Amino acid sequence: MSQLQEEGSGPVHGFLLSTVSSTQPTETGTTHERTGLDLAMKLHYVKAVCIYSAEAARELTVMHVKGPFFPIFNQIPWISGRLSRHDSGRPFIKCNDCGTRFVESQCDLTEEEWLRVSDRSVDESLVYHQPVGPELAYSPLIYIQMTRFKCGGLALGFSWAHIIGDALSVSHFLNLWARALAGEEVYCPKTTDSERGLPNPNPTGKEPGSIKRVDPVGDLWVAPSDSKMTTHSFNVTVKNIKTNFGANGNEFEILSGIIWRCIAQARGGGGSEPVTITIIRSDPNGLKPRAVRNSQMISSVHVDFSVAEAKLEEIVKSIGKATDERSEIDEIGESDDFIVYGAKLTFVDLSEVDFYEAKIKETSPVSVYCNVQGIGDEGAVVVLPAAVEEERVVTVTLPEDEMEKVKWELKKCGLIKTLINGE
Amino acid sequence: MSQAPMPDFSSSVKLKYVKLGYQYLVNHFLSLLLIPVMAIIAVELLRMGPQEILNVWNSLHFDLVQVLCSSFFVIFISTVYFMSKPRTVYLVDYSCYKPPVMCRVPFSTFMEHSRLILKDSPKSVEFQMRILERSGLGEETCLPPAIHYIPPTPTMDEARSEAQMVIFTAMDDLFKKTGLMPKDVDILIVNCSLFSPTPSLSAMVINKYKLRSNIKSFNLSGMGCSAGLISVDLARDLLQVHPNSNAVIVSTEIITPNYYKGNERAMLLPNCLFRMGSAAILMSNRRSDRWRAKYKLCHLVRTHRGADDKSYYCVYEQEDKEGKIGINLSKDLMAIAGEALKANITTMGPLVLPASEQLLFLFSLIGRKIFNLKWKPYIPDFKLAFEHFCIHAGGRAVIDELQKNLQLSGEHVEASRMTLHRFGNTSSSSLWYELCYIESKGRMRRGDRVWQIAFGSGFKCNSAVWKCNRTIKTPKDGPWSDCIDRYPVFIPEVVKL
Repeated sequence: MSQLQEEGSGPVHGFLLSTVSSTQPTETGTTHERTGLDLAMKLHYVKAVCIYSAEAARELTVMHVKGPFFPIFNQIPWISGRLSRHDSGRPFIKCNDCGTRFVESQCDLTEEEWLRVSDRSVDESLVYHQPVGPELAYSPLIYIQMTRFKCGGLALGFSWAHIIGDALSVSHFLNLWARALAGEEVYCPKTTDSERGLPNPNPTGKEPGSIKRVDPVGDLWVAPSDSKMTTHSFNVTVKNIKTNFGANGNEFEILSGIIWRCIAQARGGGGSEPVTITIIRSDPNGLKPRAVRNSQMISSVHVDFSVAEAKLEEIVKSIGKATDERSEIDEIGESDDFIVYGAKLTFVDLSEVDFYEAKIKETSPVSVYCNVQGIGDEGAVVVLPAAVEEERVVTVTLPEDEMEKVKWELKKCGLIKTLINGE
Repeated sequence: MSQAPMPDFSSSVKLKYVKLGYQYLVNHFLSLLLIPVMAIIAVELLRMGPQEILNVWNSLHFDLVQVLCSSFFVIFISTVYFMSKPRTVYLVDYSCYKPPVMCRVPFSTFMEHSRLILKDSPKSVEFQMRILERSGLGEETCLPPAIHYIPPTPTMDEARSEAQMVIFTAMDDLFKKTGLMPKDVDILIVNCSLFSPTPSLSAMVINKYKLRSNIKSFNLSGMGCSAGLISVDLARDLLQVHPNSNAVIVSTEIITPNYYKGNERAMLLPNCLFRMGSAAILMSNRRSDRWRAKYKLCHLVRTHRGADDKSYYCVYEQEDKEGKIGINLSKDLMAIAGEALKANITTMGPLVLPASEQLLFLFSLIGRKIFNLKWKPYIPDFKLAFEHFCIHAGGRAVIDELQKNLQLSGEHVEASRMTLHRFGNTSSSSLWYELCYIESKGRMRRGDRVWQIAFGSGFKCNSAVWKCNRTIKTPKDGPWSDCIDRYPVFIPEVVKL
């Protein structure tokens, strides 16, 4: 049995595990293949938490929450299957309706007390996470945690294996759940891998800069890392970014530029500066209709100048010239074990993702948190929408020993207004 | 009757016609005898001529006293006959519970849970997997919500909640189908073997539906999977004593408190096979129900082999080495079931078999016992006595064994196998799911005879014979309505998990 999620003595406790599957049996022997790009992401997991107010969610029982997942799994049965390997060693998904793990828990705090903490990375304890393995055939690909706060509020936490899809897919899944809960029919048209719309492969045959090969992990899909990583989350306003940091470009690019420069300054000049970064964002030419898949654009930016001393304008301009590396990743994805997030300093743009559209009783969640598990040593920054339209939530994951220096740099440049110890 | 083997096709066809001719002759013996008798009388009458017939008629002295006495005598005999005839008991209608689809347990989920719960006993997990692969169950059987947890949470509350869910849903459906008002229920019998709370499940039903205070209620527990037919027998006996009454029977098995938490292999079997289900049946002896009733109860034979120690101990509830309670199934179960069946059909045979089969059986018996001829024991052909068979879906082995013993074809046992596949072993209610399958397939015609056979701990073999009262239209709702078109399915010997 892989390492157990520690129940611990924290405020979240009382774990009751069960399984949620589909209502219609899938034909025996059905399988679902994964592309090279999917396989390259396999050591990562998307973790997302949506917190709903007591007014909206008080009357929902466990069966009310479990119920809408069943018709979704009828439509997308392969995400409730289990992994297996071909004779060649290539993983695929056996559609055996095994289901996803559903965890019920209680929290001793009220929702207000929980949300009072401005560093939203505390939400990580609302996600029941287990890696895939050591036995592929018995590892659920999705874990769903339902936490009931003392006041009646509800948190839904998802741990989602990146091999099946990206953060947009998690939001899509959550939206389908909310629609099914409201009584709507859910319908997910089948998609085929050939309609993926990847850009043409780069003929240079160079290994893509956005991913890093790691030592073989076998059947326990945990990203190896040398340093202990820590996460810090804070809010920024779009106005603050646009007015105080004069640069052209959208707020994600400006924000990325600012943080890149701060991290470069924190790491000291010279060779230890990150000159290559990875940008992960939605594909503007994204395929319709929405489906569960890895559709995000993974692009790489490389600069020749020193980022710590550069002007913000230049940095933002370079970010705008990021090159899409998905085709290259797709070609080599199955050959080895890779990490993508944190292979180089990674910036993930989720600011347009519709997490807040997943409404219970026509009320949006009061808070959404999203991060990735298994981030490499270079670190990652995830930009999310906030409950308030003019704000963004920024979640920074870096090695523990770097975090304080980076936080100081961020405060120095004016991005974080106040820095309270311990947050 | 054994004969020297004749390999020609034409001779086997000749044999078939000989057999058919023999059956027709013996079964209609009395009618056939009537023909020569009538012929003789007709010839005699013609010979006598009209004048002589008139003389014979006039010679009969019709005294008033004689006429009155004869009439009284005839009326008296008829009254005695009608009064002493047992009341006909009808099955008006019944309703089977369809579990919610959210309670479905696919094989892979069952096995994954098993591995997590029994993580210290991989051999037991392996054993469960092999049982499941060969069980004959499908991917749509259902377990109650409490058993879906890792580990299961079988509290008393959960057990009661399962009982309420399965019983009330079936009863609501029965009331709707039959138009029966709760206050009109005269007799209530609930049978559930392994869950017997206080107040009883029958009290729970009375409380929910506000049944009358002078209702005759019974709660049968501990009687195993054959308790359904024991309830029918009890209802029949009560309906003999109470005129113009009806009886509601609820047959179920509550799974929640009986999940075996240990790892003893012989006791893990029920976990793999038992699933959620229940049935509610309305029986009546009222003449007004005669027209709308579905079936008439013809015979009910109960056989108890408890006097024999081996039979008594073969399905035994006990604590394992770690003190966990479970049901131990002995390896001789099939042999004991075969013995119990033989005992049951020895009593049932003369009641239902046509004279031709009984005669053949008698000849075979005389030949073997008295003349010591080396004949094989003659197995009467029960297919001549019944159109449909409902064999308790206790497990694949039980159905295979009975199919072999009674020489039944695949179609005869189809209802049993498909019920096991779709619903699993629902214990005492499985016979009713099987009957519903036959009706859903549109095979039930007026006059068809059905044989329900149930086995249960003790060891008991109970069987009931019903005669279809009216051709039954394919039901629009019911547990089979959404999947009957997919059936029958081919069930492989071993399912690859």
